[in-house]
Amino acid sequence: MKSKQRGKTLAFSIVFLVAGFLLSFSYSITKDELENGEVSSSSGSRYGAQEERLRKELLDKQQENIALQDRLYEQQDIVREYEKSMSSEEQAFFNLAEDAENYRMFLGKIAVEGPGLSVQLEDGKYDPASGNVNDYIVHEHHVFNVMNELFIAGASAISINGQRIKHNSYIVCTGPVIMVDGVQYPAPFTITAIGDSDVLAAALNLTGGVRDQLVNDHIVFTLEKIPNIKMNPVIADS
Amino acid sequence: MWIPILALLVGIALGLFTDLSVPEQYANYLSIVVLAALDTLFGGIRAHLQGVYDDRVFISGFFFNIALAASLAFLGVHLGVDLYLAAIFAFGVRLFQNIAVIRRILLVKWSEKKKSINI
Repeated sequence: MKSKQRGKTLAFSIVFLVAGFLLSFSYSITKDELENGEVSSSSGSRYGAQEERLRKELLDKQQENIALQDRLYEQQDIVREYEKSMSSEEQAFFNLAEDAENYRMFLGKIAVEGPGLSVQLEDGKYDPASGNVNDYIVHEHHVFNVMNELFIAGASAISINGQRIKHNSYIVCTGPVIMVDGVQYPAPFTITAIGDSDVLAAALNLTGGVRDQLVNDHIVFTLEKIPNIKMNPVIADS
Repeated sequence: MWIPILALLVGIALGLFTDLSVPEQYANYLSIVVLAALDTLFGGIRAHLQGVYDDRVFISGFFFNIALAASLAFLGVHLGVDLYLAAIFAFGVRLFQNIAVIRRILLVKWSEKKKSINI
């Protein structure tokens, strides 16, 4: 009976110990939660916790977004820097490309199209009574004169009888015909030039200029302004 | 008889001064366990007053109810069903019933005592 009583007391002790522990423990935890400002009633604590977690996550994400945005701005600045340097480089490239285009035009490597004029040189009417036949035909120096005058006046491209003149073209007089880069052409010669036709015409028509000299040499000189001339490139490499 | 009371005080002190922190998701378990413990305690008092008290029933009921409530809440969390509400409801209703019975018994006893004194 005595041992039974003692066992009972022990069991009661354990029960009360556990009960007291549970009560005070839960009380202290609830107090902590309230002190931490966590708005979570005992029944809705699960949802409160979830809400808390989600809110924390949201804050984290926002923080992250701000950091990323800062990085984005930095990167954009770098890109802008690149673009600035690139645009100046592009300007340089553009200038170079333009220069290359001009040089190609002078070399006869590309087709040229534009307004210009054509000059036709015809042999003069030969009068057997009045001296040498050579005085009445077109010589290569006449062609040279016209060409040089046109180039000096600012012609972009010149062709003789459709043959494009390039930087190292040669013109040789071979008897009654002249040879342009190895191709023979008989009179009349048509010299076509692309450029400001008014300027070119004025340059040829100067008093005492090319036209007067040609006319003096009994050459029939015809000048015609053409609104649009197209010249093909010289394909053969030289 | 004062040893269990001492044990109660020791338990309260332990609970107050332990720095254990329960993760948020286990707060439900704790509340249910507390409710189960309270229910069993009041049930024991009632049984004692009604004269049907049994040690084994009381002690086994105490621990078994706690374990059952905790496992029910655990199951509810993992099934996505708020089963801990069922435990809270059951224990709460029983708690109130037990307290009501205790009150009535005490009232009857008190009035009988008064009557006997008057007579």
